[in-house]
Formats: sequence, C-alpha cells, structure tokens
Amino acid sequence: MQISIRNFTKTFDATTVIDDMNLTIRDGEMLALLGPSGCGKSTTLFTISGIHRMDKGQLMFGDRDVSGLPSQKRNVGVVFQNYALYPHMNVFENIAFPLTVRKDAKADIDREVRAIAALTHISELLERRPGQLSGGQQQRVALARALVRKPDVLLLDEPLANLDAKLRLEMRSEIRRIQLETGITAVLVTHDQVEAMSMCDRIAIMKKGEIVQIDTPADMYSNPRTSFVAGFLGNPPISFLSGIAMENAFSVAPIKLRVPLVPQEGIADGTQLKLGVRPEHFGPEGDIAVEGRIAFAETQGRENLYDVALADGSVLRSIQPAGRNWALGDTVRWHIDSKSVFVFTDDGQRL
Amino acid sequence: MRASSPHRANLLGLAFMTPAMVLLLGFFFLPVVLTSVFAFTNMSTATGISGGSYVVTGNLLRSLTDEGLDAKTIDALGQSNYVIDQAGLERARAAGVDAKFVAEIAERLKDRSFTSSSAFERELKTLPSRPTRVRDLKIAAGAFEQSVLNVRYASRGEMEAALSHMLENPPEGAIERIATASYTGWTWTTDNFKNLAIAPDTWRIVGNTVFYVVLTLAFNVAVGLFLAITTFYLPPAGSGFFSVLWLLPRITPVVLYAVMWKWFTWEDGFVFNIAQDLGLPAFNYMKGSVASAWTVVILVNGFVGASFGMILFSGALKAIPVQQLWASEVDGASRWQQIRYIILPQMRWPILFVTSYQTLSLLSSYEQIWLTTNGGPGSTTTIWALEAFKTALNNYTGNLQYGLGAAMALVLVAVGLVLSIVYLRLFRFDEMMSKPKIEF
Ligand SMILES: Nc1ncnc2c1ncn2[C@@H]1O[C@H](COP(=O)(O)OP(=O)(O)OP(=O)(O)O)[C@@H](O)[C@H]1O
Ligand SMILES: [Mg+2]
Repeated sequence: MQISIRNFTKTFDATTVIDDMNLTIRDGEMLALLGPSGCGKSTTLFTISGIHRMDKGQLMFGDRDVSGLPSQKRNVGVVFQNYALYPHMNVFENIAFPLTVRKDAKADIDREVRAIAALTHISELLERRPGQLSGGQQQRVALARALVRKPDVLLLDEPLANLDAKLRLEMRSEIRRIQLETGITAVLVTHDQVEAMSMCDRIAIMKKGEIVQIDTPADMYSNPRTSFVAGFLGNPPISFLSGIAMENAFSVAPIKLRVPLVPQEGIADGTQLKLGVRPEHFGPEGDIAVEGRIAFAETQGRENLYDVALADGSVLRSIQPAGRNWALGDTVRWHIDSKSVFVFTDDGQRL
Repeated sequence: MRASSPHRANLLGLAFMTPAMVLLLGFFFLPVVLTSVFAFTNMSTATGISGGSYVVTGNLLRSLTDEGLDAKTIDALGQSNYVIDQAGLERARAAGVDAKFVAEIAERLKDRSFTSSSAFERELKTLPSRPTRVRDLKIAAGAFEQSVLNVRYASRGEMEAALSHMLENPPEGAIERIATASYTGWTWTTDNFKNLAIAPDTWRIVGNTVFYVVLTLAFNVAVGLFLAITTFYLPPAGSGFFSVLWLLPRITPVVLYAVMWKWFTWEDGFVFNIAQDLGLPAFNYMKGSVASAWTVVILVNGFVGASFGMILFSGALKAIPVQQLWASEVDGASRWQQIRYIILPQMRWPILFVTSYQTLSLLSSYEQIWLTTNGGPGSTTTIWALEAFKTALNNYTGNLQYGLGAAMALVLVAVGLVLSIVYLRLFRFDEMMSKPKIEF
C-alpha cells in the first residue's frame, strides 16, 4: 500500500519539529528514514502509525485519508526502538495480543502465531517471558507481534540499535527477507547509514525535520544533492576542501590545486566553493596531483585508512588496499580523481 | 577462592540483614510477645498489674456459692467467732478495757470460744468486774472477735491458716479452693480464650469485622484504581489538582476528619438538609439506622484508604513505559482493553501491597469508628479492634480488662499473620521476588 504524507507539520508545545514535509512511500517498498539524532524520524514514524496526530497536513494510505483515524484503526505494525514488549505476557501472548484484542478464534490465533513465529525463527521461545530473552530474540518477538495481523504498513524504529555487530548483520537480512516475503510496505528509521543502504529500496535523508533528498542507496551515494547528504553517507566519510572558482576550475591557490569544473561552466570567478572528495577517489592513482604528509594511518585489515595533511592545513582522507603501506609522517604525492569529485556552493548546494 | 566465596556471601548477607532484624525485633516481636503474655492473664483494673493479696469478700462468697461450695462452709466463712486467746487479751488491753476485767476473762474463759456475740456477751455479764455500760462491754467483746471476712492477708499461707482456724471440718480441698479464689492479684489463665470462644457476642463482632474489612477494602482498591487510572489519562494540570483533592482525607487529622463527617451526616447536617429538601427520610445518618451507619463507617475509612491506594497506583502507572501503551494502541487495543490487558496485570504488585497493607491496618484500626458511630447503633458497627480497645483501655464500667483485651489483640495478630501468608501465596510473591537482582 502506498503511503503519502502531504504538507505535514508537527509541533510539540511551541517548537516545530517537522515543518511542511512531503513524502511518498511506494507500495511494497522499504524506505529508510535516515538522519542524525533528534531530526524527527521517530516523530514521522509515530505520525504514520497514529500515535502522534498531525498539526497540519494529510496522510494517505493508498487513496484512503487516514489523518483522523486513531492508531487502532490504521492496521499498522510497529517495532519500537526499545521493543516495548509486554513484560507480564509470555512470547506467545505477546505475539497473539493484536489478534486477542480483535477477538479472533482461539484456533486461528494459535495457527497465526505459530506461523509468524516460524517465519521469525522464535518457535522454541513461545513459553518464555520477555525478561528471559536476549536482545535479538526480543527484537524478533517485536517483529512477529508487528507482523502477525498482516498490517498494511510495517514501521520499524531503529530496531537494530541495541544489538551487537554480528546479530545486527543477521537481523538486517532477516528483516529484509521477511519484508520481501510478505511484500509489505515498510519504513525503517535509523541513523546507521550502512543499515539504510543495505536494507532499503530507497533512502530519505532527514535534517532538522526536513527531507533533504530521497533516492536509491546507489544514487544517493554517487549523486548527493547537498554536502550534508554527501557527508552523511560513506564510511569513512567524504572530506571537503574549501576554495574559490577561478577560470572554470575549483582552485586552492596556496597549494596550487586546480580541479576543472567540467560540466558546470560560467561560475563567477572568486565564488566560494567546497570540493568533496570521497576517500576512494584520492590515492596514488588519479589525474590531479596533490602533495601532503601522512598525518594519520589506520589499518582496518583488508584496507588501510590515511589522513593526508596538505600544505595549507586541510586534510584529505584516503582508503587504500592493504599491501603497500605508508607510515605516519611520510610525504606523498597522490592524486584526486577529478571525474568523481563533487563541487558544492558555500551553503552546501551541489553545483 | 571459589570455596570461600559462598561463606563470605553469607556473612555479608547477614550483615545487611541486621538492621532489618533489629527493627523487626523491636517493633514487631516485642509488642507481640508482650501482648501474648498479657493475653494469658486475667489482669484488669481490679487485679492491678503488680501482685495482690488474699481477701474473702461478700462478692466472693456469693460467687463461691454459685460455683457450688457447700452452704455450711459459706456460712462459717461469713460468721464471726469469739475466741479467748492471748492475742485477743492483748487487743482488749490495748483497747483500754479495765485491766481487772481482762484478768478475769483470762482466768475464767481462757481458750473457750463462742460462735455468736450474744452468747459471749451473756457469759461476760456473769463476771464480777464487768463494766456497767453496755458500750464498754461491747468494746471488750469486740476485741475477741475473729473473722476472715474483708481481712487482707499478705500471703497465701496466712489466708490458709486463718481459714483452717475458722472452719471446723472443712470439706476436702475447700481451703485451697477458697484461698485461690480470694486472691486479688492477677493470675495466669487461658480463660480469656475460652470465654471468647463461647461468648455469643464474639461471633457477631467477627461477622461485623469481616463485613467491614471486605467492603472497605473493596472500596479502597476499586476507588483507588479508578482514581489513579482516570487521573493517568487526564491532562497533567487536571490530574495534579485531583491528586491533591483526593489526598485530603489522608492528610486531614483523624479527629478533624471525623468531625467533618459528623457535620456532614448528623441531624441538621448537610445530608440531613438535602434529604429533607428532597422529601427523603432525614435523620442522624451516622447513628440513626444500621444501614446508614455502616455506609458512613465504610465511606469514612474507604476514602482514607482510597487516596492511599491512588498514590501507590499512580506511581506504578507512571512506571509503565509509555511505548507499551503506544504499542497496545497500535496493536488495536481499545482504551478498556489497554487497561484490562496492559495496565491492570502490571499493577499486581501494588494491588497486592494495598490489599494486604489495608487489610491489616483495617483489621487493627478503630479510631475512625470510635470517633464517628462508636460502634453503634447498639453494637451493630462494633468491630473486633474497637471491642478490644474498649475492653482493655476504654469502657464505661471502669473495670478495664487488660488480659481479655490482650487476648483479643492476639487473635488479631494471628489472623493478620495468616492473612499475610495467604496473600503472598495468592499473588505468587515468590515469583516476583525470586532472585535478588544484584548478586553477591
Ligand atoms: N513528546 C515530545 N515533546 C516535546 N518534544 C519532543 C517530543 N518528542 C520529540 N520531541 C522533539 O522532537 C525532535 C524530534 O524527535 P524524534 O524523536 O523524532 O527524533 P529522532 O529523529 O527519532 O531521534 P533519535 O535518532 O535520537 O531517536 C527532538 O528534538 C525532540 O526533542
Ligand atoms: Mg527516535
């Protein structure tokens, strides 16, 4: 089911948390809401589920306007940031709860709960209390409870935040598998870009209550519209150099760096610009030479990570395959891949 | 290391327990022990709480007659004897009887005894130096009078000696029996419990107590929960006001609170006037009828407990993470289902606490009833604790029966203990408190 949010505004007391947001989530897709802490991700999610009411705007499920509907009637499944399992019920009763309150027949409830428990791999835990489960198990119970009544929409609020690295990896593919199997429209709230990129069809990046860009993970990475998006995606992150426009090139005079602005001609000379260089686009190979000194070196096993300090004090990050190692303090003459850099205006808009 | 750690843990545990044990001993066991001790005595205002002496009184004779002591012995106890012995002669001299006359009595009547004053006086009149005035003669005769009636003996031995002196051929065991009965101090006895068990009043008071506790408790928990849940769903400003409003019965001094209820329910009070205006029967609702008296008693105590329950329940409600409530709404639960399936089950512990705490405090509380209906009309609203209080500490006849009162209090303690155990079982206390959360 397609979800569209139109002109959504949310105010807590006097502070406007979300201002005039528009967002469409396609039928059957999994969309990530990605953004720094406090940017309004949970608020958006809770508004879709009906826990928060919109101050202004409209929410459509398909072509049904659900803006005024209480959460009980929206048929959404929510996995909360801290799971919110009912501590006094065992796993079976927790999962069965949405069906119990709907007064389904006992036999039906039993069948449905067992089916969803099999799907989420918790069949052997049905008798336990939430307090007797590990974080990952609780997470799957929460997921099962959200899915059991076949909701139109699945909303996940940082479901993996409390898990260890290995379990997180496992659950990532698990949730994606279940979402694909059930074909449900899902929204995943996260501030982990890897999670967003690996699990979702599209990513919406939020900043201070606004959606700054919405795209597929690959497009978002290779074609960021603002320096914020470019900086938010990628690990290790992109590095920026400040300079000015000069004769159709990005120029940093003190270090004699000149990167031609190939597609964007006609920028007035002297305009302040920012150049974004991803770590994989700076290294021994490339077309524009830059000289610097290794200021930081870190081995990550398969790859090595370097910070190269340039003569004017600015820093470029680089990631290189392990094997040929540079040491701290080495002077290097490396190159920027000029076809892969992003140029932004001083206020962060991509040129 | 491994082997020594459980030992260390035990010691540490014991050290942590010590303050609790001391408090338990001081505030629980000691009063219970004292109550138990008193409960097995017949202490009262009459006996005092220190030792007593041995006196045969008119009352005692009557009760001995009732208990079937033979009439001859009773008669003899009530009689005066006139015995001419050394002690009597000395008493006569001390009373200022003519020395010559005393000498004559000693010489002629020594060691004789008379069972009536007239016979003795007739004998005295035959003596040569008898006084001329009848009054002097009576004084002389009186010096030889011997009676156990209303004479205080400090020890049992003296009482028994006096009795055997008085009684010729007493029936088997009669002297011991009379001596025991004549003791005015307190003694050890289990009669308090026997009397309680057979007294018809006992069961009526038990019935009253059960009725009172069950209804007041139901009111406490139900109204407390209702208030807590409604204020929970109210916006914060309103809920704060209501919390304070419902706290008033709790924080008002008991006497003032009782007086307010009196104004409210007595003749010409608030309810009286309203009932009159509406053409309903208007009377003193506090004492005028059994039904209205019970209603007042249960409401008076109910509101105090309800505010107590409300505070506890409100605290427990706020401890439920709001995400659980959100989750239940998203899961499709109506407000009522949310209360029924999410909130109430998680209130089990506070409900247990309020129920058990209130049962015990209601069982042992009498102040509000004492200050309002005082157990009336008649003794229809008299509960066990009030009766115990009146028996032991406050009654009209002036004979306070500490022993019986303590026995009644001990029954309350026993009932309280049994109830506590039942409650803990019922609410599966062990499950909630199975393991200490922090391991040593
Ligand atoms: N009930 C509330 N009352 C007042 N302000 C709130 C309330 N809930 C959220 N906010 C504010 O709204 C903003 C967005 O909150 P939200 O919970 O949506 O952030 P988030 O993006 O989910 O952050 P996180 O990643 O830390 O969970 C925050 O600044 C927060 O302080
Ligand atoms: Mg959040």
